[in-house]
Amino acid sequence: MQEVIRLDQVSLWRRTQEEFSYDLKKTVLSVLEGKFNRPKRKLVLDGIDLVIERGDKLGIIGPNGSGKSTLLKVISGILEPTHGTLRVRGNIAPLIELGAGFDVELSVFDNIVMYGVMLGFSRREMQQRAFSILDFAELNDYYLAPVKALSSGMTARLGFAIATDVHPDILILDEVLSVGDESFMRKCQKRLDAFWQDHVTVLVVSHSMDFIRESCNRCIFLSNGSIQAAGDAKDIVDQYLDGIAPP
Amino acid sequence: MAISLKNTARLTEVQRYWELLYVLVQRNLKARYRGSLLGVYWSLLNPLIMTGIYTAIFGDVFSPYYGDSLVDYMLAAFTGLSVIHFFSGSTSQALVSVVGNGVLLNKIKLPVSVFPVAMIASNVFQFCVGMFPLLAIVTLVRSHSLLNVLALMLPFISLVLVCTGIGLFVSALFVFFRDLPYFYELVTFVLWFSSPVFYPKDIIPDAIKPFLTLNPLIDIIDSIRDIALDGRVITIWGYGQNLGGPNLIEVFLSLMYGLLFLLMGWLCFRWWRPRFMDLL
Repeated sequence: MQEVIRLDQVSLWRRTQEEFSYDLKKTVLSVLEGKFNRPKRKLVLDGIDLVIERGDKLGIIGPNGSGKSTLLKVISGILEPTHGTLRVRGNIAPLIELGAGFDVELSVFDNIVMYGVMLGFSRREMQQRAFSILDFAELNDYYLAPVKALSSGMTARLGFAIATDVHPDILILDEVLSVGDESFMRKCQKRLDAFWQDHVTVLVVSHSMDFIRESCNRCIFLSNGSIQAAGDAKDIVDQYLDGIAPP
Repeated sequence: MAISLKNTARLTEVQRYWELLYVLVQRNLKARYRGSLLGVYWSLLNPLIMTGIYTAIFGDVFSPYYGDSLVDYMLAAFTGLSVIHFFSGSTSQALVSVVGNGVLLNKIKLPVSVFPVAMIASNVFQFCVGMFPLLAIVTLVRSHSLLNVLALMLPFISLVLVCTGIGLFVSALFVFFRDLPYFYELVTFVLWFSSPVFYPKDIIPDAIKPFLTLNPLIDIIDSIRDIALDGRVITIWGYGQNLGGPNLIEVFLSLMYGLLFLLMGWLCFRWWRPRFMDLL
């Protein structure tokens, strides 16, 4: 098997958000008074070693704030690790909180092109793909309407349609598995199943243990920014559930 | 350290940057004008009205410095205002651009500098269709020389370089200091009043003059006025020491100044860039 993602001793320190009230006036004053402290930092990921092979479906589980989403951000290249190295082979399609990139004033069509360009496609390619995306999202009648005119369900459908129309080597799912009404959810499921069948590498963050157990072949259990356990998805999920089960 | 190995035929980094710039500029312009073609010309309204007001109030007092011509004063005020207006508009829009797209930057890996650069580029487009033709007509009427019209682009390029440098700098600084817009408003105000936009340069006391050389806009305004309003054809060395006139040396100096600003802004941006994501 070919490895597509490799993390060697990846650690990440981030500024804590608690002193988020930094302004120029206060900083200048505190420097003048000699009270300036370097901002506090917190270890968010601690020595992560991980090798993901082509076609792996990796589930990432753990309590809130354990660094699951942060790990995905490091793998997508949004955050740079403070220490350690990261290697990624192939293109990554992030599917994190659909529709976050939309400009609500612009038309649906313009948003499709803009979103696609942000995901790394050319304008021309997106203009050609736009109609198949609209088809899938069932929004053909709305393509000139501004996104703010869509309902929230429609917006989420559009986001899903764009992000999955891309044919990525690595798909990242952060708690977004299906959106919209019942019939659209089935369509989403079908599309995701196709990814599963393909040799696409999938990384999933989910709190749905049944989903992880059924859909993933591997799983890691994160806690406080470090990997507590890694291995077969069923074993790890059971281990995790045992750990939090009431005595 | 992140190493990304690409095995698919995707866009190169430069192509991607260009495509992103294109869609972002399009977004900015569409958001601003809601598809109406005439919309761009609203941006002319502010400098034109200001020119009218200055001419009405200061015209009589200052026209002796402009060869007793009210029209000359008006044109000088207009060229100065066009520069100041472009500067304050483009840089203050660039200032908020990185923070304004923070949510997006947390979802998708994007070259961050594209956001302030796109803001400047939108303003360049707006200037090119709105203000530049007006300045070009004035230049043509005054100098009867196409050479001057072409040369008019050079100080404008310096202006764009200065604005991009400052835009990158303030957009990066705003990530760390969220009260920056108040300070920056003050800075643009100081720059505006320290540039001889609506008053003649000759009334500035000699003791103050050295400080004004710190203002990067003065050279640019001078060059544009020399090329557009002087009436003589641009030469390399000008018309001798006491005669002034449009010359390429002045333009060249302003270009160097522009490059220096761009370099400094870009270096600061690059230096602070790794710390952005913790605060967005």
